[in-house]
Amino acid sequence: MTVSIVAQLVVSGALIGLVYALIAYGFQLTFATSKSINFGQGELVMVSAFFSLTLITLGLPYWLVVPCGLLFGAGLGLFVERAAVRLALQQKSEGWILLTIILGLFFFSVAENVWGRDDRPFPTPISQTAIQILGVDVTPVELSVAVGVFAIMGLIEVFKRQTLLGKAFEAVSADPDAGELMGISATNTVMLSYALSGIVAAVAGILVSPITTVGPTMASALILKAFSVAVVAGLESGFGVVIVGIFLGALESVASFTLGSGWREVPGLLLLILALAVRPTGIFGKAIIRKV
Amino acid sequence: MWKRLLLIRGAELLMFAVLAAIPVAVQNPYALGLLTLLAIYGILLIGLDVTVGYLGQVNLGQAAFLGLGAYTAALCVTKLGSLMLVATLAAIAVCTILGALLALPALRLEGPQFALATLSFTALTVIVLNELEWLTSGAQGLSLTRPPILGHALTAREFYWLCVALFALVWVAMRNLLASQWGRAFEALRDSPIATDAMGVGTYRHKVAAFALGSALGGLAGALYAFNFQYLQPQSFTYELTVILLLGVVLGGRKSLWGAFVGASLVALLPNLLSNRFLFEVISAVGFALALFAGIRGLLRRTLGPFQAIAPIVATGILVVGGLLVTNTEDWRKAIFSLMLFSVVVGLPEGLMGFASKFLSKLFRIPEAPRPAPSPLDRALPARSVGTGGPLLELRDLKRYFGGVKAVDGVTTTVRAGEIHGLIGPNGSGKSTLVNVVSGLYTPTAGEMLLRGHPLPRGSLYKTAQDGVARTFQNLQLFTGMTAIENVMVALNGIYRRSRSLPLVLLGLGRGEEKRAEADALALLEFVGLGDQARTPAKDLTYGAQRFLEIARAIARKPEVLILDEPAAGLSHPDMLRQMEIIERVHQRGVTILIIEHHMDVISELCDTVTVLDGGKPIAEGPPDEVKRHPKVVEAYLGEVEVGSASAAPAAS
Repeated sequence: MTVSIVAQLVVSGALIGLVYALIAYGFQLTFATSKSINFGQGELVMVSAFFSLTLITLGLPYWLVVPCGLLFGAGLGLFVERAAVRLALQQKSEGWILLTIILGLFFFSVAENVWGRDDRPFPTPISQTAIQILGVDVTPVELSVAVGVFAIMGLIEVFKRQTLLGKAFEAVSADPDAGELMGISATNTVMLSYALSGIVAAVAGILVSPITTVGPTMASALILKAFSVAVVAGLESGFGVVIVGIFLGALESVASFTLGSGWREVPGLLLLILALAVRPTGIFGKAIIRKV
Repeated sequence: MWKRLLLIRGAELLMFAVLAAIPVAVQNPYALGLLTLLAIYGILLIGLDVTVGYLGQVNLGQAAFLGLGAYTAALCVTKLGSLMLVATLAAIAVCTILGALLALPALRLEGPQFALATLSFTALTVIVLNELEWLTSGAQGLSLTRPPILGHALTAREFYWLCVALFALVWVAMRNLLASQWGRAFEALRDSPIATDAMGVGTYRHKVAAFALGSALGGLAGALYAFNFQYLQPQSFTYELTVILLLGVVLGGRKSLWGAFVGASLVALLPNLLSNRFLFEVISAVGFALALFAGIRGLLRRTLGPFQAIAPIVATGILVVGGLLVTNTEDWRKAIFSLMLFSVVVGLPEGLMGFASKFLSKLFRIPEAPRPAPSPLDRALPARSVGTGGPLLELRDLKRYFGGVKAVDGVTTTVRAGEIHGLIGPNGSGKSTLVNVVSGLYTPTAGEMLLRGHPLPRGSLYKTAQDGVARTFQNLQLFTGMTAIENVMVALNGIYRRSRSLPLVLLGLGRGEEKRAEADALALLEFVGLGDQARTPAKDLTYGAQRFLEIARAIARKPEVLILDEPAAGLSHPDMLRQMEIIERVHQRGVTILIIEHHMDVISELCDTVTVLDGGKPIAEGPPDEVKRHPKVVEAYLGEVEVGSASAAPAAS
């Protein structure tokens, strides 16, 4: 195994890792406002990708499909919040874990029946021919993943810091009760976070599909890795997910090359269990002091 | 009494008798296969219910344990030529050990993190089973032949009876366990891990035991699964199965053996329900009608929120309409299952059996279990002799820092045996942190703590509780899902001997102790005036009663030192008087009390000595009247006071 092969594996793995980071970022958005995450987020990614694919096959130009796909993702996010999360939050229970799993199962079944069980290619106007950068082959499509991930994360962070609505979002994340007392509706903010998280899932789907193809099974494959990234980085850590995502993507691509493709997911899963055992709040998370 | 026993036990007996008798009447091998699967899933779901129902954690690992058990048994038979019994025991052992190992890291996790840890375990298991081809033949699958028992090859019907017999055994053993101190400890853990430790029960061993036990049952079910199908594939034990199992428990009803049975029936029979179109349409129509009826009734009587009423109607409505439109219902299996589950989780959070048991106990007028006569107080809370009132609890230069914040910064004080020692000070003066250090919630940064001259454990609620220090909590930490008497029974000290041993409990040998525990707990409830509310769930008690219950639970530890953290906070005046009277009576039993309180009249009335903290340091100590006039105390409470007006200040406090 030469250096150039390793470099190649690391780079292409890291670029996919950015997608895991993006999905994990979607978990952080909802965790911040409501301490809940969507266990069916992988299905959101998959369904949004299928939806966009349908628009493309209907003949819509790619650059029009993207905003439509994002809107669709936002809608799905809002639906998840309404159907699976709000009631559990009102009851202060962890029922949302079950309900989001159930919704995920529903989306999966719908996708299976509407779009079929096979993996399908996702056409893109971005070139698939590799170019060499510093001796490593990279396709513009892979690079578009990096650009897309950083663009959407950057936009959302700017939104949170610069707009009034974004500041309300931050306020509710810090303390929902105090936010309510200041006249910010916690429910609306949680809705906003789920809509954003749905947009993020749709972006992830549109970015990753040209590389991996679209199929119902992409949901579970992506979500496990996104969980690993979110937990290892910490559910409250902002950009920590990017570093962990890149690391995990690279690790996985090297493991898949050296141990065989079947073992591809093992490092991520082991990392997740280890991280949970050693540092449940994540590498970049803060330790929690127990209070009574 | 007899009616209750007859109805409840009778229903169980009848169920198992019917299960055992069906194959005599019905000779159809396909039906027999389904029934066998039902018994196996029954065992599996009872195991899953331990973590999901009693520990209250979302466990996504049960499919992995089913798979691990199945593969262990299959490999024992194919590679080692083991007997059926040996292979089954091996499957149970492997799953118990792996379950305990997984529980160790999962121990610190709650809610979503626990779900994630078990989810990744499932994914890992499937990958390993798939990839270790030299051992498991990977995706090709592993075939085995069911080994004979004592030279006799079991027929399908005999194997079914074996499964039903094991299901019945597991049922009885789990009933014994869940009705014991172990079952209560599991539930206590769910409601408040901190209070569980503080009551000397120990979260650690119970959480690991619960998880290992659930996994062991997964292993047993796995072995039976392997002997039943005689062919295994890793793909059978994926995320999808784990979700369906979890949903089976929830659908059937958590914390209920019957619920596990109903859930198992649904999981086993579901594919058949769906393949029969007519049956499916009938079921979905009935579901829709029920949801409509319950929803409208709930809305009219305002017992249900609009979402809880309407969402199940919509979900079952989609089922009915979808059933008419879709060509092949089996393709939509997951969607159908998820819609059914969604309606149940939202509309019937307690599951089918949780709902049915309420309904049935009303219908048959099943009386509550009778209450034993309370023990004499001398047994429940023996009077202690306090001797000459020498030093009991000594703190020397105790410190606790949080980063740069010196919450407790060098406290030295002595609590004498038999006194009520008050701890007061302005907000943020470090009172609560101090008692949290003494009771073991926080590890001290520096300093010494001595009880009877021996060092107290540092940073362990559980060990401190074992050493004879009990406490209550400022923000109530009751086991809210349990009744008042169960809250006290969890904490009882010095009663459970046999009940500590898991095998004895599974065999049902701890029942004598249960009776005594109930009697003692009742005596303590009467002591605080809650005797007639023994069977009320703690969350339904009034706020005042919850405060009294905290004290009853703490004195069930028969403590030498009782720490009360603001016992009168938020109480109405009559309740406060009652609380003071309870504290005084506890004191008369010879219990030494350390009390934090903001109400000065409570402190003046009760305390022999008062220590005043400010900025993490003691600034005065002595009898309440003296301390109140201490200039530093006046300053701490009221700010800088001019010389000459100090004598007027105490009146204002």
